[in-house]
Amino acid sequence: MTVNKPSSSPQRAVSRRRSALLAGCAATVLLTVSACGGGTAGTTDKDGFAQAPQKDGALTVWVDATRMDAAKLYQKLHPEVKLDIVSYDGNANGSNYLQTKVQLFNRTGKGWPDVVFSSQNNEVSWAVEAGFAAPLNKGLVDEATLGRFAKGANDVCTVDGTVYCLRNDLSQAVLWYNAPLLKQFGYTVPTTWEEYQQLGEKVAKEHPGYLVGDAGDSFTPEIYLWASKCGANDITGPKSVSVNTTSEACTRMAKLLDVLIKNKSMSISGVFSTDFGKNKADKVLLMPGPAWFGGAVFRDTLKTPAKQIAAAPLPQWQGDGSPSTGNVGGGTWLLSQHSTHIKAATDFLKWVTTDNAYQGEKAPGYPAYAPAAEAWLKGQNASGYFASDLSALAAASSQVWPKWGSGQFSQEAIWAATVKPGITQGKSIASMLPAWQDAIVKYAQSNGYKVSQ
Amino acid sequence: MSRAHDQVSERRRPRSPRRLAPRLLIGSVLAVFMVFFVLPVLWLVLAATKTDQQLVHGSPLSFGSWHTLKTNWDALTAFQDNAVLHWLGNSTLYAVISLVITLCVAVPAGYALAMTEFRGRHTLLVSTLVVMLMPTATLVVPLFLEINAVHLIGTMWSIILPYSFYPFGVYLTYIYFTTAVPKDLLAAARMDGCSEFGVFRHIALPLATPVIALVGFFSFVANWTNYFLPYVMLPESDQMPIQVGIGSLLSNVPSFNPAVGTLAIERPQLALATLIAITPVLIVFLFAQRFLVSGMLAGATKE
Amino acid sequence: MTLSHSPSGSATRRPRGVDRQSRAGIAFVAAYVLLLIAFGILPTGYAVYFAFTDAGGTFTGFSNFVTTAQDFRFMDAVGHVAVYLLFWLVSLVVFVVSLALLLHRLASSAVSRSLRFLFYIPGALAGAASVLVWLFMLDPTVSPVSSLLGMLGFDTFGEVIAPGNLALLFTIIAFWTGAGGWIVVIYGALNNIPKDVMEAARIDGASAWQTAWHVQIPMLRKWIVYMVILAFAGGAQLFVEPQLLSLASVGVAGRDYSLNQLTYDFAFQMNNINGAAAVSVELLVVSVSAAALFVARSGFFDAD
Repeated sequence: MTVNKPSSSPQRAVSRRRSALLAGCAATVLLTVSACGGGTAGTTDKDGFAQAPQKDGALTVWVDATRMDAAKLYQKLHPEVKLDIVSYDGNANGSNYLQTKVQLFNRTGKGWPDVVFSSQNNEVSWAVEAGFAAPLNKGLVDEATLGRFAKGANDVCTVDGTVYCLRNDLSQAVLWYNAPLLKQFGYTVPTTWEEYQQLGEKVAKEHPGYLVGDAGDSFTPEIYLWASKCGANDITGPKSVSVNTTSEACTRMAKLLDVLIKNKSMSISGVFSTDFGKNKADKVLLMPGPAWFGGAVFRDTLKTPAKQIAAAPLPQWQGDGSPSTGNVGGGTWLLSQHSTHIKAATDFLKWVTTDNAYQGEKAPGYPAYAPAAEAWLKGQNASGYFASDLSALAAASSQVWPKWGSGQFSQEAIWAATVKPGITQGKSIASMLPAWQDAIVKYAQSNGYKVSQ
Repeated sequence: MSRAHDQVSERRRPRSPRRLAPRLLIGSVLAVFMVFFVLPVLWLVLAATKTDQQLVHGSPLSFGSWHTLKTNWDALTAFQDNAVLHWLGNSTLYAVISLVITLCVAVPAGYALAMTEFRGRHTLLVSTLVVMLMPTATLVVPLFLEINAVHLIGTMWSIILPYSFYPFGVYLTYIYFTTAVPKDLLAAARMDGCSEFGVFRHIALPLATPVIALVGFFSFVANWTNYFLPYVMLPESDQMPIQVGIGSLLSNVPSFNPAVGTLAIERPQLALATLIAITPVLIVFLFAQRFLVSGMLAGATKE
Repeated sequence: MTLSHSPSGSATRRPRGVDRQSRAGIAFVAAYVLLLIAFGILPTGYAVYFAFTDAGGTFTGFSNFVTTAQDFRFMDAVGHVAVYLLFWLVSLVVFVVSLALLLHRLASSAVSRSLRFLFYIPGALAGAASVLVWLFMLDPTVSPVSSLLGMLGFDTFGEVIAPGNLALLFTIIAFWTGAGGWIVVIYGALNNIPKDVMEAARIDGASAWQTAWHVQIPMLRKWIVYMVILAFAGGAQLFVEPQLLSLASVGVAGRDYSLNQLTYDFAFQMNNINGAAAVSVELLVVSVSAAALFVARSGFFDAD
């Protein structure tokens, strides 16, 4: 190393070299030791993958704090099952905790959890390659059960026809609105984007300050551009993506947003920002947003009083025959290929994604499993918070446009870093679509994706 | 202002008025920095006494109420059955054990590097420095594999042992001894027939109180605030130290993780958790500062 | 280890006391050397090994270095870190040394002690703990210093965290957390300057400024060099501050800002530990070269 000043005695130089040698030897020994970790002896091929010898013992389940209730409820209802419940951050904000740990476990050959919840939809994009996620539709979970999930719900879990995870909840976008306020202003709920834009322009003139939406969140493209069938994120294969952000489907939605942002009927601060909470919480007239906006945004964050918020279907473009909507988040459950308690793990997985005891009655988000969703909606309607029933959610659950996938790179992060600062500076979204495309392409490529434009 | 005007006459006068202007300057510089360092902390303290609504709508530096503080405390401790207190316990355990090992290892090492001549001293100084400059991100994977090779994954030793390696402390001690303790002092003791260990025990160690306090303090803080190592090493959530715990609280606050979907933790509760997390560090600081006394060496040797 | 091998060759040339000292020195450092090898040298060597091999362990020469340097974020990150380093080093050296000197001159030791405590408090707020603080400080809607932000022309959080301001913001955040600890260290070092040296300077009629410049700062040389070396390495490894702002702004500012963030991305997002190791080795080489420069110029390793 360069830090060494010229050595004063030759012995020192020798001893330095010798210590380097020793350290090197030690490193080699260590490498050999750790390389022996991952033995795969004694596996049997069943259910579409090589299963480790099955053993008794506790089932290890990783959940985030919100899903903790699910695991505890399971334990209560099934006291005979030995459960080791571990809470982690659920991979929130792209923390990559699960991926990091699985990489380390893959090197050491032990330690994997049996079942794990993730608040991200894109785990399959690495978990299959890493040999972690077990195939579920090759014997573990029957077709009938899989068939009762909402249409397209498990698309994010599917690679080449094989299902590698089960969707926990859906986050389909609908049009939230303040029913009494809309009535007071004498407006009706828009059913097309054209009407929506006209209403926004009217609001800007007649009731300046009131809002018909928000375009300041990192998930803004997933609400508006996804719903508008903009092909910015079409994952066409395990490692390939098609990106086109300048098609008509993208530009017309971008122009709509630009008009409303300019006349200030659309906020650009983001629904969770302090600015929104302080200055705009009671100015929401309309708000396109995912299913969880009802509870998490209106009831809990903005503290909108009961009997005001209602849900309607998201507007569509005039003349578009196939209604479509976007999606913001929703978690997934994975089962480990390395599990030595596959039977118990599968039972837990099936229960937690489909059983009414949790999904129907306790789950905070809209269940991906359709029969549970029915029960869940009944519960929401009975809670008395909303001004309408939430049937719009049920309708939207099968209308999520399928050509927007979940790649390994985060679309939300790309939008936040490339488009959001421009919006703040007053640039139009339409003018930034090429830059957005460019950024998506670069991130996709550096994650090893083949990109077609 | 007027200072320049009657500077000439000031020169001849006794010193106190002449020193008024610089004193004001010093005072205001220190005051500005005090506001810079303290204001955000003050805000944090006050935040814990407010509701989430008050935090956004109220004046930033207003006091909420004791009642709200209590409510926030209840909500925070309700999170996963007193998880916060459990995390505090874990942090204390990890930080204190590593602190003890660090002191036993680092202080003699720093002393020897500064005050004795031995083969490999230079190599040791250089390799310590190089290792300190290595970015930690990449060290985590090798460390994990190493700890795994000796079957310590999942035990508290998987983080305590790496914590105990504290080169920063070795250097602090090293510089302290080279700059503050004259070698003649030790030579004199050796002449008096002290063994090497005796010199260390009876001469060097008593003189080293300030640096022991300093190393101990920094080691404690480094262990207490370390996030990434326990985050990667510890497989069980009930082993988490408070820093990792705060990270997991953070991911349950919708403003930082919009997709969480439910409101589990509000921002004032997060502020309260933060305050709880830093309190031990501040207590240790006050304790350590008592030992950083001045003038310990003045007059110990005659130049 | 080599440190303990018998010093027979030199014993003939050295006086007996030195020999005794040498053995004792080795005994004193033995435990530390063990830890150093286990948790310092071994992992570092392992990481260097990673940098020159691929996932299968085959030697690949510099290909990891080339691939990572070609990543589209790499050059931007280098630029960001360079600008940040400049701000960070200058602010740290100038303000920490001056604040320590000012505190040392205060007549009232109680005031000085309280101020050191107050300056230090943010040091306890590491990482995740201070996300909340900075989100609210930098957001003009709710900030206690919103009038100051307003005067500077910022009305929204988005404007405050505009790309051009980031290097300065990270410097402020890093200084806020890190300066207090260094002030304590430098203050402690000032305390150890023998009283008679200071007295002599006073009798010679040196002003406070002259004393600081000609007496105190030269005697703090080693401490300052140590601080600069670590601050340089720490600055080059910038990670916490951008990560923190990225969390607070939900990804708008600070993501993929620094080289060290890229290494995390490579290692854990793209499963490319070898690429991550390559970038780390580059950072190490830069930091070590800078350190070597300072060490060589300051006589940092001289025992006397």
